[in-house]
Amino acid sequence: MMNYIWLALIIIGIITAVGTDIYESSVNKYRNNVEFNALIELKEKPSAETQVKGILKVSGEYYKNFYALKNFNQDTIKNEITLRLKSETAGTVILSISETTPDFWKLMAKGKGTNTDKLIANVVKLEEVNENTYKASLIFERVSLVKIKQVLNAVIEYADIAVKIAIGLIGIMALWLGVMKIGELAGLINLLAKVVKPLTKRLFPDIPPEHPAVGAIIMNISANMLGLGNAATPLGLKAMEELQKLNPKKDTASDSMVTFLVINTSGMTLIPATAIAVRAALGSGDPAAIISTTIVGGFAATVAGVTAAKILQRLKVFKKEIEENGENKKELEQ
Amino acid sequence: MSFKDIMNIISVIAIPFVIFTFLIYGFAKKVKVYESFVEGAKEGFNVAVRIIPYLVAMLVAIGIFRASGAMDVLVAILSPITNLIGFPAEALPMALMRPLSGSGSLGIMTEIMKTYGPDSFLGILVSTMYGSTETTFYVLAVYFGSVNIRKTRHAVIAGVISDLTGLLTAFFICKLVFG
Repeated sequence: MMNYIWLALIIIGIITAVGTDIYESSVNKYRNNVEFNALIELKEKPSAETQVKGILKVSGEYYKNFYALKNFNQDTIKNEITLRLKSETAGTVILSISETTPDFWKLMAKGKGTNTDKLIANVVKLEEVNENTYKASLIFERVSLVKIKQVLNAVIEYADIAVKIAIGLIGIMALWLGVMKIGELAGLINLLAKVVKPLTKRLFPDIPPEHPAVGAIIMNISANMLGLGNAATPLGLKAMEELQKLNPKKDTASDSMVTFLVINTSGMTLIPATAIAVRAALGSGDPAAIISTTIVGGFAATVAGVTAAKILQRLKVFKKEIEENGENKKELEQ
Repeated sequence: MSFKDIMNIISVIAIPFVIFTFLIYGFAKKVKVYESFVEGAKEGFNVAVRIIPYLVAMLVAIGIFRASGAMDVLVAILSPITNLIGFPAEALPMALMRPLSGSGSLGIMTEIMKTYGPDSFLGILVSTMYGSTETTFYVLAVYFGSVNIRKTRHAVIAGVISDLTGLLTAFFICKLVFG
């Protein structure tokens, strides 16, 4: 199952990116090799072989039509530039990308992949209108294959994020594993398991009652309910470790593991802390208004998930995967 | 004191309380607390490192999917269907992103509330959706990865059924209470 979903995410992503790039180049979205006309106000008179700073001015209307943008309401666009002349009328304009730069140029600069803080244009024509004001025809540097470049960047960026997340877990993981070890040796985890036995017996029939796994599971669920994500993950992983001890087939998920996982992927919580915090930050009149609706939503998700897991585990396709183990083991022994 | 205040207090004191109880109880039972703590804690590094390949595989696939703009295509395809039950098209990216990416769905939630206001129906809906379910694929990679489980059996289907139910229930309950 995971194989198909994993592959589907990647293939759909790549096909969409390639398709988008082909479409964008067919309509020349970034206007490669098309002249862009603008006014340039320079601080001093330009001469060959020098750099002069100035401002590029163009009407919002022209910009909108030139790039065929749907939503663009700015009246005039002003952007800082540097003009580098090679001769009287030929040279380059370097557009510096800043906060005030229109989004489409930001997108173009980003789409180049390198030197994303500026856009470079060739000056095709330069006519003096007033003192230090020029009419310029520009051709911007070629921008293409934007989506594919973004996908490539995402690959590198997400691989990096994955490692950072895992490394970030080490400290909190060590803390909770240490605390849990004390609880285990003191018999506290077993005591906890005994207390919740009536409930967990039904949810996880293949865990022996009073097994440490039950204690870890209950602590994980409690942490989730209280919105303590930092503690919930280490406790959940501790529970997985205990469940793995009971699992006869080490590379395949057991029924209890799937049930436990589904409880964790559904958001059963009594306090949706993140959502409330964001609402408060955005000036909501009643940030906590969503508590009751979230509890209902999370509860429904949990019940549906656990029910689905319990029904699906009986299907032949999924049952087969854990039963094959016995035969393999025999083969190995022979 | 409202429900929220009580819950806030409980969630603040829960962790110190648990750690304190474990230490004192362990000490009373004559457990060598310091030695046992270190013994347990040394596994922390191994668990985190074990997760890395699973997390890289999962997040890179999700990263490709997100960066490609496939989400927009999917929204365009699905919105005629979700329109049938009156589900707002603006909230559809949230529903699709929630199981895949925590940071992605947090961004979408914030963006929608900025645009339409946190107390608008859409604002209430997306924040309820955010809290009603978890980042299924991330949890799956981390939890199974930590014990080297590669064959996930029915976990993905059950997880997606749970997400779907959570998201739809969030919509119906919001419509009932705030709509």
